[in-house]
Amino acid sequence: MFLAWRDLRRTWRRFLLVGAVVALVAVLSTVLAGLADGLVRDGTSGVRALPYTNLAMEPGAAAVFSRSTVTADDADAFAAIPGVEASPVGVSFVNAASLDGGASLDLALFGVPAGSFLADRRDAQDALAGPPGLVLSSEFLDKGVRLGDRYRLGGSDVELPVVGFTIAGSYGHVPIAFTSLATWQSINYGTDARGRASAIALKVPSGTDHDAVDSAAAATGTEVISKSRSYDGSPGFTAETATMTLIRGFLLVISALIVGAFFTVLAVQRTRQTGLLKAMGASDAYVLRDGIGQMAVVVLASTLVGTAVGVAMVAALARTSAPVDLSPRSIATSAALLVVTGLIGSLVAFRRVTSVEPAVALGVEG
Amino acid sequence: MATSPTDTPLAPLALRGLGASVPDGRERRVLLDDVDLDVAAGEVVVITGPSGSGKSTLLALAGLLRAPATGDVVVSGTSTAGLRPRRRTDLRRTNIGIVYQSANLLAPLTAREQLELAGHIRRRPRREVRAHADALLDELGLGDRADQLPAQLSGGERQRVGIARALMGSPTVLLADEPTASLDPELAAEVARILATEAHRHGAATVIVTHDDAPLRHADRHLHLSAGALVEVGTVAS
Repeated sequence: MFLAWRDLRRTWRRFLLVGAVVALVAVLSTVLAGLADGLVRDGTSGVRALPYTNLAMEPGAAAVFSRSTVTADDADAFAAIPGVEASPVGVSFVNAASLDGGASLDLALFGVPAGSFLADRRDAQDALAGPPGLVLSSEFLDKGVRLGDRYRLGGSDVELPVVGFTIAGSYGHVPIAFTSLATWQSINYGTDARGRASAIALKVPSGTDHDAVDSAAAATGTEVISKSRSYDGSPGFTAETATMTLIRGFLLVISALIVGAFFTVLAVQRTRQTGLLKAMGASDAYVLRDGIGQMAVVVLASTLVGTAVGVAMVAALARTSAPVDLSPRSIATSAALLVVTGLIGSLVAFRRVTSVEPAVALGVEG
Repeated sequence: MATSPTDTPLAPLALRGLGASVPDGRERRVLLDDVDLDVAAGEVVVITGPSGSGKSTLLALAGLLRAPATGDVVVSGTSTAGLRPRRRTDLRRTNIGIVYQSANLLAPLTAREQLELAGHIRRRPRREVRAHADALLDELGLGDRADQLPAQLSGGERQRVGIARALMGSPTVLLADEPTASLDPELAAEVARILATEAHRHGAATVIVTHDDAPLRHADRHLHLSAGALVEVGTVAS
């Protein structure tokens, strides 16, 4: 890269335009990564926080709680497997109307038995074991909800007080609230619950005999899915992630095309220079290394600048109510993909560079 | 038609039965017709001819920048007929230096870096390349212009840098394409003198194609290219 470095140093203005475009794509890509991460977090943070490894659901439910009905007793078949913990869980979306004149709340209501491994904290177990009540996501504190406030759960006559707050996260972009499984059943089924729940949450340690788990699933007529697959059931999760992936994919393609177009124009402008290098005895590999290396530096530097700006923007957005989140892994993946696609884009000029005849240095064609 | 080779047993550059033509409407116009030429080490051969007579094509073939339609180019005893492009590139790198019209310098490189690039392409050690470049620049009176970019150099200086760059690989064959064409008569004479002096000093078999008189004064042999044939016009002595 003897020539490339000096060219960059002395004619850097020529690379400003393509650098700025790549940097802007990097900004947008980083912000979108933040938004995608944020939407995923907002859609599934509640279930991610729960300490289960698998869910046993009704076959064909596609990880959607509202499509799955099991009986709480099914948990016994799984709990009988050595090392496996199992707990029924009921999940539904409800509206809680304030009986004290406050605003109504939309809740993702999780019904969990008091002794469940899902409620692993002592205060949570006490709240679930005591008189029926709601343990709300702590974000409701900021909205003026207080302990003892009473709510009537939509679609039922059940009235419940707020008995606690916890960092519960959200599910399907709706804040999670916990209540006991019995209370959840009475909200959803009245007095005819017959032990019904939405799923059996499982904690299956590594090294567990999976045949035994499969046998228990067969015996209970359920289907066991992984925790990560259970996120797919979050309302809008698949559509959101697919949309974000599509947009980011398009951005990467656009970036590759821009870099490719720029490098092609550059290669055309440099036809005589390329011919001169070859006339001096430079191999195709030497000339390509110089050219693609130069584009790699431009794309890498622009991506770093753009990513830094994007991270700063995501950090600023995170202080608002926008659902953004950004992990170092997402940042690295987003930036690396941009660099790789940029380099792939620069390869479109490969043929144009290698086909230059050294005779053009003398102005002799063909 | 062919020119007589010199009596050198192994000429660094030998053209054997070279042929070349270009499309001319439905026909093909013959530029070179069975051309032979031997150039001895340190010999300066100047080839003149009208525009479009095929001087640059002859130089491109001699410099292994193109493969001839017919015939062979022998460089330092190596026949290049049927040689793969990669091997031709290797031969060019190790044996041939070219001086271009208008110098053909690379805009982002200083005078010294133009020479260092030639060493870099040859994968020579950086320190050795730098010392060689500085020595050549001093030799051509450019020691104090080493850090100037082409845009900061005069036409004569640019052409001298071009000559120094061509000599960086210690070539056995030195080719020059209209090296004085873009210079005023005084500078043209100076550049032609330097080119011939350096060719003799480095013992390079040198071919200069020109339609300018300046290089003729320093020619060991003067050939004229016309109708596809090289005709000996005379020598310095004649």
